[in-house]
Amino acid sequence: MASTAQPASSLKRRDAPVTREGDQLTIIPLGAGSEVGRSCCYMTFKGKTVLFDCGIHPAYSGMSALPYFDEIDPSTIDVLLITHFHLDHAASLPYFLEKTTFRGKVYMTHPTKAIYKLLLTDYVKVSKVSVEDMLFDEQDINNSMDRIEVIDYHQTKEVNGIKFWCYTAGHVLGAAMFMVDIAGVRVLYTGDYSREEDRHLQAAEMPEFSPDICIIESTYGVQLHQPRHVREKRFTDVIHTTVSQGGRVLIPAFALGRAQELLLILDEYWSTHKELQNIPIYYASPLARKCMSVYQTYILAMNERIRNQFAHSNPFQFKFIQNLNSIDDFTDNGPCVVMASPGGLQSGLSRQLFDMWCSDKKNSCVIPGYVVEGTLAKTIINEPKEVTLMNGLMAPLNMSVHYISFSAHADYAQTSAFLKELRPPNIVLVHGEANEMGRLKQKLITEFAADGNTKVLTPKNCQSVEMMFNSEKMAKTIGKLAEKTPEVGETVSGILVKKGFTYQIMAPEDLHVFSQLSTANIFQRITVPFNGAFGVIKHRLEQIYESVESGTDEESAVPTLLVHKLVTVKQDSEKHISMHWAADPVSDMVSDSVVALVLNISRELPKVVIESEASKTEEENEKRAEKVIYALLVSLFGDVKRDENGKLVISVDGNVAKLDKQSGDVESEHEGLKEKVRTAFRRIQTAVNPIPLPGS
Amino acid sequence: MGTSVQVTPLCGVYNENPLSYLVSIDNFNFLVDCGWNDHFDPSLLEPLSRVASKIDAVLLSYPDTLHLGALPYAMNHLGLSAPIYSTEPVFRLGLLTMYDQYLSRKAVSDFDLFTLDDVDSAFLSITRLTYSQNHHLSGKGEGIVIAPHVAGHLLGGTVWKITKDGEDVIYAVDFNHRKERHLNGIVAESFVRPAVLITEAYNALSNQPPRQKRDREFLDGIVRTLEGGGNVLLPVDTAGRALELILILEEFWAQRNLGYDIFFLTYVASSTIDYVKSFLEWMGDSIAKSFETSRNNAFQLKRVKLLINKMDLDNAPIGPKVVLASMASLEAGFSHDIFVEWASDVRNLVLFTERGQFGTLARMLQADPPPKAVKVTMSKRVPLVGDELVAYEEEQKRLKKEEELKASLLKQEESRASHGPDNTNDPMVIDTTNSHAPPDVAGSRGGGYRDILIDGFVPPSTSVAPMFPFYENNTEWDDFGEVVNPDDYVIKEEDMNQTALHVGGDIDGKLDEAAASFILDTKPSKVVSNELTVQVKCSLIYMDFEGRSDGRSIKSIIARVAPLKLVLVHGSAEATEHLKQHCLNHVCAHVYAPQIEETVDVTSDLCAYKVQLSEQLMSNVLFKKLGEYEVAWIDAVAGKTENHDMLTLLPTVSKPPPPHKSVLVGDLKMADLKQFLASKGVQVEFAGGGALRCGEYVTLRKVGVASQKGGGSGIQQIVIEGPLCEDYYKIREYLYSQFYLL
Repeated sequence: MASTAQPASSLKRRDAPVTREGDQLTIIPLGAGSEVGRSCCYMTFKGKTVLFDCGIHPAYSGMSALPYFDEIDPSTIDVLLITHFHLDHAASLPYFLEKTTFRGKVYMTHPTKAIYKLLLTDYVKVSKVSVEDMLFDEQDINNSMDRIEVIDYHQTKEVNGIKFWCYTAGHVLGAAMFMVDIAGVRVLYTGDYSREEDRHLQAAEMPEFSPDICIIESTYGVQLHQPRHVREKRFTDVIHTTVSQGGRVLIPAFALGRAQELLLILDEYWSTHKELQNIPIYYASPLARKCMSVYQTYILAMNERIRNQFAHSNPFQFKFIQNLNSIDDFTDNGPCVVMASPGGLQSGLSRQLFDMWCSDKKNSCVIPGYVVEGTLAKTIINEPKEVTLMNGLMAPLNMSVHYISFSAHADYAQTSAFLKELRPPNIVLVHGEANEMGRLKQKLITEFAADGNTKVLTPKNCQSVEMMFNSEKMAKTIGKLAEKTPEVGETVSGILVKKGFTYQIMAPEDLHVFSQLSTANIFQRITVPFNGAFGVIKHRLEQIYESVESGTDEESAVPTLLVHKLVTVKQDSEKHISMHWAADPVSDMVSDSVVALVLNISRELPKVVIESEASKTEEENEKRAEKVIYALLVSLFGDVKRDENGKLVISVDGNVAKLDKQSGDVESEHEGLKEKVRTAFRRIQTAVNPIPLPGS
Repeated sequence: MGTSVQVTPLCGVYNENPLSYLVSIDNFNFLVDCGWNDHFDPSLLEPLSRVASKIDAVLLSYPDTLHLGALPYAMNHLGLSAPIYSTEPVFRLGLLTMYDQYLSRKAVSDFDLFTLDDVDSAFLSITRLTYSQNHHLSGKGEGIVIAPHVAGHLLGGTVWKITKDGEDVIYAVDFNHRKERHLNGIVAESFVRPAVLITEAYNALSNQPPRQKRDREFLDGIVRTLEGGGNVLLPVDTAGRALELILILEEFWAQRNLGYDIFFLTYVASSTIDYVKSFLEWMGDSIAKSFETSRNNAFQLKRVKLLINKMDLDNAPIGPKVVLASMASLEAGFSHDIFVEWASDVRNLVLFTERGQFGTLARMLQADPPPKAVKVTMSKRVPLVGDELVAYEEEQKRLKKEEELKASLLKQEESRASHGPDNTNDPMVIDTTNSHAPPDVAGSRGGGYRDILIDGFVPPSTSVAPMFPFYENNTEWDDFGEVVNPDDYVIKEEDMNQTALHVGGDIDGKLDEAAASFILDTKPSKVVSNELTVQVKCSLIYMDFEGRSDGRSIKSIIARVAPLKLVLVHGSAEATEHLKQHCLNHVCAHVYAPQIEETVDVTSDLCAYKVQLSEQLMSNVLFKKLGEYEVAWIDAVAGKTENHDMLTLLPTVSKPPPPHKSVLVGDLKMADLKQFLASKGVQVEFAGGGALRCGEYVTLRKVGVASQKGGGSGIQQIVIEGPLCEDYYKIREYLYSQFYLL
């Protein structure tokens, strides 16, 4: 029986509209959807909203560099999680905090917060846009610092029922991958990540839980990186050969993040090569110099290797690297290595040096990272014969140009290995140029989606992705209510308490034990003027209520009446009676009726009581009830007859149902009618018969 | 039934001995803390030795001797081999504390309970967690989640939360609710209504003066001594409270621009501060903020000078100075020596910032009135000379010889063993059954050659005439030529860890040079001791800078946490009894204070089972929101889930739900109600006895006030009285509106 009923019920459930609002998880990339830059990803589920990252697009300026914030209502966002300090992940945060209605909480790791401030302050200073185009100023950045909260790797935080924690991401110092858990549905947002350990950072960790959705970067698409040691060897070889032949090496690099890795490589290489130690290495970035103290402090966010080195001396106190504030401090007299920003050679120190050195074939330029389309760095990778200098003149490009990528983004091998282990049923690709992303999607589909259980999605900016999660709700029954585990078919009644996304069922008495809620009993006592005989009240009450018990009060020995086992009426004095009861909708109603009755007695003169009415027989009562039931059924179904067995025969549209008035059993061939009659009869019964007393 | 929980104290109940407790959760044995005292008295560890092998995991809460001192000894001598969990600072500073303890001891005695290697190997197996990290145990502990939480007191200090099946066991000792200069306080809100709370009564009877007043007295006392030309000695711990004191002094010196020297003297002082500088994530908000906004590392010390041996202190310019030196107990370490030197000068001051451990010199001096003179043992390690040296050397030689003999025997055996299988490769050995296998040829080949060249050569007994060993290089050939091993041609990966290894990546690398030289110092030496009596003429002050919550706050925190069951440990018998009585009256009915090795069963008598809430049921439930909770009354029928392994709740269909007594949910505060009624235009005032008089006739009263929250009746009783009038019903309506009716 049970086994046949099961499929039917599950079928029914599928038919029922399960697409309730709460079960839909929506992801909208507000930036970095099929593009690189202005990372910002909106996610909402069960009324909880999370925003991942808040970057700007480095290729645009002013408002157009922002993610599409107007697609959403910032005031509804509960939590904003920033993965790392790079401009395309964090730079619109001051704007979002200070210029929008966003009132939620912001989290980032300790190193990210420390560098964020320095980096953005520097960004505000160097960006040469008009005041109107400025998205925010230094004051906004300082204000934003107070609203940013910090989170450590693996630390679990909870905000409005949203649980989240983060893992190391390996991309830059403090970079994190966030795992968000809303009502048991887990979403992993990788940000920029790298699964390869380098000189100072751990590789991105493998989460211990498989997420339901993985929002993953796709910068390098299906490309593969060279192994790290090959890259490092090329890098040091190029530099070694150039300087030993008397040339100069220019390394244009963004001031923070990968630059530190390159400095570590150089410093170590120099310390093992005595012959190079008289050749200076310059690091021309005041900003990076300021950030060095952050690197020297947050050793715990780095890898085991750095921590072990730290036991002897701080590896970020470089021995062979000198700082250079500006080109004026630089005397160009012989071989040297200079690392300077910006990485794209657009302007600034790196460009000045490039202009000075590009026509000498002894010199080299090493481009160490991802270069953005349209910059000079991108142009010279193709080794043109001539380049345009900043002053507009053309110059021959004789220096050798090397492109050795150290940017710590995952390549295809890492991405696919990562996903293979995680096995998320839904993969959302962001942060990748559209073509690369498309190729990655195809490749992932052939690798993972063959079984049909994995979906790979590549939403564009503002394109929403919806997924249904019909999460099972589990409750824990505790306390008195759980003394006995119920058998199938038994009823369970109690208070369902929901906190966050956890449910508990408990008896009302236990409420204060298991939650911080408390229950209350309200006792009411009311005095009513009455100067008649107490017996009259009793008499009247007996006419209305089935149960009126007489007694005497223990303290004052005055007569009392307990009406309907709920309300006590007491004769306080000649002129007053008092009533007391515990507040409850039913008791309140009973008390109201008693009050009305007492007031009526006082108003009217005592009437002669008709004896017969009080002693009406059970039988008559039943007869009358029967009549009412019949009348009501007729009004509902129309054709109702009585058959020889005393059953009622109801015929509707040729379907016949037989109703047993005593037991309430219904016989009918037509299921629908049977159900309807049964429900109708149940309702009529409750209406006709007296209200059962609580507890009885 | 709920999760079974048993607590067995192994050390530190009804007294102030070190802490060590066994907590079993569903037969998974946690050892929480593993402390020892400054006397390193092995008898304290007897209870631990009986259970050490049964322990499945160790949780450490603070980086001081009282909480982790016995770890190296227990791991090496008592058979403790469980995984250990702690926070990063507890690991690192605990390690440094143990180094300091060892070095201080070794300098004055033939300390042999553990060695530095024991310390290293014990600490290497520690798994480091961050605050609020939920670590899921596996294997035997499947289903148990442990999480460290901020505790204050010492850097990295931890309140442990052990969760199984939604029931929490909290271990909270020595916590501090106050924010300090470098630490945040405990967040009691993260531990609401745990099944079991294990806490201590150590400070139950003490009350602290306000911090500002105490700080001022502290600094005034120091400055007065310095101005009077005296020196100040602060006996401190290695890496715990010393940090807070350093910050106080650093701040005050900068404020006043004082010129007196401050020294921090332990065997590991400079590495302590180096590490502390990188622990900013673990410190208080103000420290983190100052670094984030201005990159000012508070532990970038400008005034306090770090010393790692006493010579540097003796060479310091003469004049008044402040010295923070370990150990706090004055039993050993630099503080002991300095005390002996300085005690006889009336101008000097010895300022104790923590209560000395029982039976130590520090405790004696803290007595009121302080003793006039104390007997101390001055011990010194001196190099051996003359006959002793000769004797020592001979002994060493003999040992060496013995060892060599042993080694050669071992080698012989090894060679014999290794000859068996590979005789075909070794043309020198023709007959493997030969019992006179050459001792030197076998083993590793390189070794063989060297031995031959150095020791002259031993002709293999099987050879006819003396000959040099000869190895034929038999190469294998196939159709393509010589068979090559591809591994020989792989370009070796340049190991980036080379440099790291080059400088030695082991754990004790950071030991200060003096300390290192001490370890490496194999110069024969011995300990000479002489007893002497020191006249205590200097002033002695004790001020509480222990950074623990005081009695009153402990009580209010326990009341706020409101555990279902409470276990009290650590604290004098008096304090324990006092807190027990207090909690019985005000917190909960189940308070235990077990004796050593007495197991108390604090399994919650809670019944619980899990059910699934079906979609049909939930679609009809209307929740009412109450603060962070949402509540609803449900009537449901139990059923089975589709795969029959879980109970599920389905809506009742066949029969009408039985009526239930209605429940009023809400927390009524009379004062709030008064305001609410006033805002509705009702005249309200408090009459005598807590009654609220509303309008002319109606009174509201709360009876049986629910002060005993965890106890029997947490149900509020409210009485509303009045004559029959319109006001009565109006006020009743307002009263109802304060509650949710279910």
